Amino acid sequence: MGAARNWQVIGGKESVVRFEIQKQFLAAAVALVAIGLCAPSISAAPSDEKQRKETAAGSEIDPFADLAELPAPQATPEQASRSWRETLLTENFGFRKEVMSQFDMNERGKTASRQSVGFEALKKFSTATATLASFDFQGRLVRRDGFNPVQNDMEGQGRPGWAFEYHNAYLDLYNVLNPLLSDEQRGDTVGRFNLRAGRFYVPFGLNLQTDTHGTVLQLSNDRNFGFERDWYTGFWGAISPDVNYDVYYLAGSGYDLKFKGQSGLGAIRLSLANKYSYEYGLEGGLSILGGERLSPDAITRRRILAVNIGNENRVETKRVGLDGRYRQAVPTGLLTVTSELSGGRDLSSNLFTQLYQAEYLHASRQWGVSTQYRRFQQEGLGADASIIGEISWYFRNDIGNSNLHWIKLNVERQVEQMQGPHSTIATMQYYFYQ
Amino acid sequence: MKSLVMCLMVAVLALPQYAFAAIGCTLSNPAEDLKYLYPEMTTYKEDLNEFPRLKNGAELFSALRERLGSDLDPIYETFETPYTVYSVFKGESKIGVVHGVNVPGKGGVIQVFLSMDPQTAAIRRFFFQRLESPAARQLRSKEFLNQFEGLTLGDFYKHDYYITVDPGAKADKVAAITPPSFDPSGRPDYEASLRGIRKNLILIDFFVYGKKFEPYFERAKQAAEKAKARKE
Repeated sequence: MGAARNWQVIGGKESVVRFEIQKQFLAAAVALVAIGLCAPSISAAPSDEKQRKETAAGSEIDPFADLAELPAPQATPEQASRSWRETLLTENFGFRKEVMSQFDMNERGKTASRQSVGFEALKKFSTATATLASFDFQGRLVRRDGFNPVQNDMEGQGRPGWAFEYHNAYLDLYNVLNPLLSDEQRGDTVGRFNLRAGRFYVPFGLNLQTDTHGTVLQLSNDRNFGFERDWYTGFWGAISPDVNYDVYYLAGSGYDLKFKGQSGLGAIRLSLANKYSYEYGLEGGLSILGGERLSPDAITRRRILAVNIGNENRVETKRVGLDGRYRQAVPTGLLTVTSELSGGRDLSSNLFTQLYQAEYLHASRQWGVSTQYRRFQQEGLGADASIIGEISWYFRNDIGNSNLHWIKLNVERQVEQMQGPHSTIATMQYYFYQ
Repeated sequence: MKSLVMCLMVAVLALPQYAFAAIGCTLSNPAEDLKYLYPEMTTYKEDLNEFPRLKNGAELFSALRERLGSDLDPIYETFETPYTVYSVFKGESKIGVVHGVNVPGKGGVIQVFLSMDPQTAAIRRFFFQRLESPAARQLRSKEFLNQFEGLTLGDFYKHDYYITVDPGAKADKVAAITPPSFDPSGRPDYEASLRGIRKNLILIDFFVYGKKFEPYFERAKQAAEKAKARKE
């Protein structure tokens, strides 16, 4: 800019000035080439000479050298002071609220409604060096008007009107053998011996890994056993880096904890460790369950089978199940396929359960579609089978299931029924959980 | 009865908002995962941190945004989001710190976990718990993950300084990280992963290390301000 200004102002002495300017340009060009050759990093720096010098020096001198000896850290953020009650309800305490509104109708125009408000509370208990236990409770206040056998409300027939329902109610004690072990032994057994007592998903199939509390689509346990949660106690943990285990004694009574002469159920499940889910999108397991349970209400076969043994409450039960789920990212989203297969006996009657499910979730996590085929076949009684299609619109869809908000339309077509006509049931569900 | 039920419903919904935790990021099987990270461990402890329950929580939350250098996601990075810090012990000695965060990626949420040296706050291991991405295989490669070993939040703040004052400086360890080769569609998830690491380090610095790396942040900030002033 300086050269241009001189050119305009000086006018008649053009040639002399031009020569001077050419000399200046030549010198500047040489200097720039030299700088360019010697210090390439400077080329990207600002043109200001002083800054160039600073910058060149910065490449060689650590500008953070004086911070190498870091000042002592400030205290970690203080928790607001609170009473013991506040501590109990705030420290390592999670609380979620839930709202569900569901309307369904069959092809004959029979309508039903379920409205509920619920919550889930999770509290963890710790010492200075270990988390020892956690407690989870999940419940709902429900209002039902009418009933259609929608997958996620098979118990609803027995609870018209207002009801308070509990769902999860269990205590986990972690590393229960620690008080008996040396430090070295504790290290060897960490995560291996955890105790659970209370009410939770039946440890059969994928339900332990899958929270179906809010969804319309369910896995196969409810149809297989007449309940998808039961009261139980036993151990869970990791056998090896590849395999997890669950070993429980179940009351076999379903919703309420009752002992009416049934011996209860023993259940073992071996499943793939979580790393298979994270690294390969794969979950799966082998489940074995056997013993005696109280037969649930509203299952047609109960009456027929009960006649066989003369006691309408107890059903001798044996099951072996194999399950798997594979999740694969596709260019526009996520594809998941799931299958649960199980066979066994109720009394002397053989049965076979199948469930196949495919889900697609768009990459935005704002919408998804699912389809499921499920079939429960029992020797001498025929089969119940359905094909289900579902479309979901998500306002929020957290992968950890801790922040959910959606609307779903679910249509189930019953293609086989042990008893009664085949129905088509359409369900509209609104769900909020945060 | 009806009115009692209605009152209870209203009471549940009317509970203070701060009590309702939003999305957290926890290890699905802490014992198994922590044992894998620290084979010598004997016990571990989980601590839930939530901005609303911290003194000056609102101030810290806005500080997170400033240090992250980008807007916070309204779903995955809210003020109420809980953060679980795992402290790993061998006997009475603390031998590790593990923390995970959610960041939105192209194919869904990305869960970025770091295991840290409890003394130096340097990354010991970086891993994805969940990653649904077209570039998942490349991002999970050991060659890529291992590059973060030994980095601290200080290195990320230094990077801010160098890109302002001295781009290409050899001391810029973050700039030296080589991205894996992936299809262009995987780029957003690569960038989201780097953002997740940075966010994770900032939060651990807040929750565990008492803002130990603040002097680095301040210096980088001053450098950026000077550079901006020069341009003006």
